[in-house]
Amino acid sequence: MTYINEISKKILYLLSEYKIKPSALVDIFKKNNFNINKTLDFFNNNKICKLKLNLNFTESGKEETFGNYFKELLNFILKNNISVLNISDRKYPNILKQIYFPPPILFFKGEKITKTKFNIAVVGTRKCTSYGIGAAEYISRELSRIGITVVSGMALGIDSYAQRAALKESGGSIGVLGCGIDIVYPPENRHLYRDIIENGSLVSEFFPGTPPLKSNFPSRNRIISGLCSGVVVIEAARRSGAIITSEMALKQNREVFAVPGSIFNSKASGCHWLINSGAKLVEGIDDILEEFSWYFKEYSKDGGKEKTNTCIHKNNDMDRDDIGGSYRKVYEFIGFKPRSLEEIVKFTGFEVKEVLSILAYLELKKLIEEGGSNMYKKVF
Amino acid sequence: MFFKLDSFALAGIDAIKVSVEVHISNGLPSFTIVGLPDKAVSESRQRVRAAIINSGFKFPMKRIIINLSPADIRKEGAFYDLPIALSILAVRGQISSKLFSECCFVGELSLDGKINPVKGIISMVERAVTTGKNFFIVPQKIAHQASLIKNINIVPGDNLNGIVKIFCNCGDLEKYVYKDTENKILSKDNYYDLDLKDVKGQMKAKRALEIAVSGMHNFMMIGPPGAGKTMLAQRAITIMPQLSISECIEVTKIYSLYKKYSGELIQKRPFRSPHHTISRVGLTGGGKPPKPGEISLSHRGVLFLDEFSHFPKNLVEDLRQPLENKKVVIARNNISYCFPCSFMLIVATNPCHCGYFGDEKKKCVCSLREVRKFWKNLSGPIVDRIDMRVKISRLKKCDFIKIGQGESSSEIKKRVKRCIEIQQRRFEGKKFKYNSEASPDVINSWIRDNKEIRNILSKISDNYNLTARGMASILKVARTIADLDEREAIRTQHVLEALQYRAGYDFGNLNCDQN
Repeated sequence: MTYINEISKKILYLLSEYKIKPSALVDIFKKNNFNINKTLDFFNNNKICKLKLNLNFTESGKEETFGNYFKELLNFILKNNISVLNISDRKYPNILKQIYFPPPILFFKGEKITKTKFNIAVVGTRKCTSYGIGAAEYISRELSRIGITVVSGMALGIDSYAQRAALKESGGSIGVLGCGIDIVYPPENRHLYRDIIENGSLVSEFFPGTPPLKSNFPSRNRIISGLCSGVVVIEAARRSGAIITSEMALKQNREVFAVPGSIFNSKASGCHWLINSGAKLVEGIDDILEEFSWYFKEYSKDGGKEKTNTCIHKNNDMDRDDIGGSYRKVYEFIGFKPRSLEEIVKFTGFEVKEVLSILAYLELKKLIEEGGSNMYKKVF
Repeated sequence: MFFKLDSFALAGIDAIKVSVEVHISNGLPSFTIVGLPDKAVSESRQRVRAAIINSGFKFPMKRIIINLSPADIRKEGAFYDLPIALSILAVRGQISSKLFSECCFVGELSLDGKINPVKGIISMVERAVTTGKNFFIVPQKIAHQASLIKNINIVPGDNLNGIVKIFCNCGDLEKYVYKDTENKILSKDNYYDLDLKDVKGQMKAKRALEIAVSGMHNFMMIGPPGAGKTMLAQRAITIMPQLSISECIEVTKIYSLYKKYSGELIQKRPFRSPHHTISRVGLTGGGKPPKPGEISLSHRGVLFLDEFSHFPKNLVEDLRQPLENKKVVIARNNISYCFPCSFMLIVATNPCHCGYFGDEKKKCVCSLREVRKFWKNLSGPIVDRIDMRVKISRLKKCDFIKIGQGESSSEIKKRVKRCIEIQQRRFEGKKFKYNSEASPDVINSWIRDNKEIRNILSKISDNYNLTARGMASILKVARTIADLDEREAIRTQHVLEALQYRAGYDFGNLNCDQN
């Protein structure tokens, strides 16, 4: 199961034993036309470089016996079914090679990363609102349905909701980690870790065992945007990881999309700032696909096809048809803003018990949900 | 010379028949009590001697041996003064009566011969009925309590002399029987100071409380501080139907063992809200001699555990068995005490440490991990046993302004009463009385021929992650809702409404609408 070739092993050897900075490795590797032996020779012959690198990059300060660390690492990788891709590999995502500093080595689990053709990142805050969750799930599900892989950061909140929704459809999902691939962070997402390997991938540029350090995350974000043709930002504060990702995306020449939020929600201010500075406002996935008309011909503007963003509303209309009378009255009163039971009772004039059973029915039908305590709102 | 009278000993809330046997023989004068007497019983020698002399009788200067049989049960308290004194008088022939064998005696004597009240009289009289006695001689002051029990004649006695006189007028004991004033006692207004009308807003919680009380379902409230959880819980007893006489007796029996018991018949449903620092013995009962704990003191009433999350886990686990069995058994060396505890459990908790998780306006300052940990600390098995769980939200501005909008307790009480009557008719001849206690085969019989319900249930089980017990409790609650509606069969809307009372936080799919 484990996929690792000789070149990857040599690169691992260089990185682990010589403590060579990955960016330096990528530079030399590129200069040598992705010939690993030449690269190895270069580092072996260049004593000064080796010494310098050694001085600079022995972080731990531990006296490791030569070769042992590499052996341990290799054993660990094989034992834990971790696969390794290197930058010269044919399976290495082409789109990632185009960025300024592609990771020379990628640890991964799950085959998706080697097969994907078109990826979109969906990123956002960890502390999301139910509106954000709805948006993340809707966009991811729809993207995944037409075969697009949703890339995100495996964090709590928007990231994991987006990925869970995407995993249910054909497109699947890729999770990029800011820690070693063997570390489950945050622990709440352990089920997602298990599920994503089935119809997606876990990817990390960090060596197994690397803890989720704060400093790892911006560099993880560059891989998220690097893997994708576009980045959709849902609910992000002005200074947040998602905004960093979108900035990376701009530097990497990727499209940036933002989903607008409430003006009262501080976690939506980042999205609004993005829209102000030129990011595309997203109302539905057609707004995203439009930008990639070169890839998705059937969604191109010129195709004369009308935007089908309205499908959100259409769906709900359909559902409304099979609920009648009092159900409809309650359902229509519950709008985008959560309504309390008291409000519903007052508006409809029904008895409390009647309203309660209507609400339960609508909840069962997944038309509404409880947001906050005893507040009901529409599901999007 | 030998003589025997019947009396009673208390074991928990039950009474055991005790024979007071006296034997008088010649020899050096002495007065001995055998049969495992405790200090109070042993000291009755002094009281009896003084009372006999001060009542104008002669105390025999002989060897007197009193045996309290059965000899292997520890005798506690001063119940035996009166029978001992009477038997000493009778054995020498100072008084004599054929009626002694039909009577039981209980009473503490003061030195001048006056008969003082004792505790636990109701249990003893009840026991006397089953042993087939006709008359029960009790202290005057508690005769009204004793007379609550039917099928036995209560003869009140004020002092030793008076009792002796009664027996000397042999054959006419009926004349002295205590006249029934029971109605007078029960007609006292059963009034609570509280009213459910005082609780503003909280429509869902009020409706849920009504259902919970109707079916005696255990009830959980989750909400921020100040939302009205305690207020609602306190008012649960105001919508419960009045205690019947037999229920009053049950409750009074338990309370008669309780330190603060005033001696009155208890007619209000008990509402107990122990603090979370309560000890295990305090909650479930125990001690020496075993006393009822809070769960028994809330028999036929409400046990309210406020700040449920602060209750130590082992205490909460202790509630599991009493909740199922409706009684708690305290086993001791050679006897086990059984206290009934058929109570309605109401628990209240905040949704997290700071209390504002999920609140509309106020921000919760807990991290998700803390919230999750908070819920982990609540005992899962107990929460699963709570049929109805409701989120309580803080009042909105418009709710404050409204005054007296809701229904009053007495109106709701009428519906509750009707609902309970329906249940009692249904469960006639069964071991249980309420929907919440229904056994699985009974629950199955509700849905067996009801295709409509089976459909909706299968839909529910597809959508929600429910345990078998969770499913059963939805059905039980639905049954109660249908009974409130006075419907023969459970309908879809009843099940749907029952579904509303299963609030909880699903952390796999956590939603934090709080910025």
